Amino acid sequence: MKPLETRLARLARKGDQRAFAEIVDLYKDKLYHLAYRMTSNRQEAEDVVQETFLRVYKNLDRYDENQKFSTWIYRIATNLCIDRLRKRRAVYSLDAESTDHDGLDGYSMMPSDERTPETELILTETQKLIRDAIETLPVKYKSIMILRYLQDLSLQEISDVLDIPVTTVKTRVHRGREFLRKKLEHKL
Amino acid sequence: MKCNAAVASIHEYLDGDLTREEISRLQQHLQGCPACSSRLDTLEKTNALFQALPAEAPPSYLSDRIMKSLPKTRRPAAWTSWVRRHPAVSAAAIFMVVMLSSFVAMWNQDKELSVSGDLDHVIIEGNKVIVPAGQHVEGDLTVVNGIAEIDGEVEGDLTVIDGSYTLASTAHIAGEVKEIDRAVDWIWYKVSSWFGTLAYGT
Repeated sequence: MKPLETRLARLARKGDQRAFAEIVDLYKDKLYHLAYRMTSNRQEAEDVVQETFLRVYKNLDRYDENQKFSTWIYRIATNLCIDRLRKRRAVYSLDAESTDHDGLDGYSMMPSDERTPETELILTETQKLIRDAIETLPVKYKSIMILRYLQDLSLQEISDVLDIPVTTVKTRVHRGREFLRKKLEHKL
Repeated sequence: MKCNAAVASIHEYLDGDLTREEISRLQQHLQGCPACSSRLDTLEKTNALFQALPAEAPPSYLSDRIMKSLPKTRRPAAWTSWVRRHPAVSAAAIFMVVMLSSFVAMWNQDKELSVSGDLDHVIIEGNKVIVPAGQHVEGDLTVVNGIAEIDGEVEGDLTVIDGSYTLASTAHIAGEVKEIDRAVDWIWYKVSSWFGTLAYGT
């Protein structure tokens, strides 16, 4: 018997909206967590999750049932996040002072990221440290570290998601770890 | 074991890829090397803290927003996916369409009168092909894009394509009289005469 997601995908392909709603429920939290850690922005995380499901929906016919559904959906979401990070870097440098708005740099012009009471979480000082360290990771390490430690994917699964060799994934995990260690060494 | 080898080993260990033997060798090194030992310590702490980061929950309206953003029907993709799944049949269908349209194009172009058969015993006036009374046409007579006026005798079949014919009371046709007006019939005629040529060599 095929896994649950594969069966749901098959039903959704035939036009069953409830089956697709179940797929959304199964993955929305994981994808949001992934996208939020990647982009560090709630609005962008929401957009990435929505866009991911839209692409999944439109391409259900192309889903290869021999592949794990999670691999497929993670690939779409991760690529969307990476695209956004690259675009963001290309369009404006956040540190550059804007000429139109005196004294405002790119950071202060980004959509405000106020926490709403229902999602309010109290982060300890250590959690803030690690969150800030993750934010500074270069993109190619960031995606791999997030898939490895927040989504608990194996090295092989990460290799399938990002379509790069396992040995490369391994090297990047090692470098990502060292990067974080150096950032945190004297603060922990 | 040197420190740089130990660092590589530490990462393999964190990946869960070390054998029991390799682990004990690493342990030996760590006991005598406070630098590597504290490095492993920090790496383990970092990993643990990373994994313990609280999950951000998406806003409650997200599911609704997603479901509402979906296109209403998935139908338009149906035929393209069918094509993708049946490449051979699709190729054959496209081939047929191209063949058919070229047949039709040829049929439309070909507006000039043409006559085949025993031409010694017929008279051609404009787009009219006349078999005069008392004349005797040997074999079949085929008229394309013209009017056939038969007053005499035809030994074989009379075929009129995209035209008309009139038979006088004196006319006598030994074979069949066929009138073909439409492209489909014309194709059928072409195909069957082609098979006829294959079969009988005439």
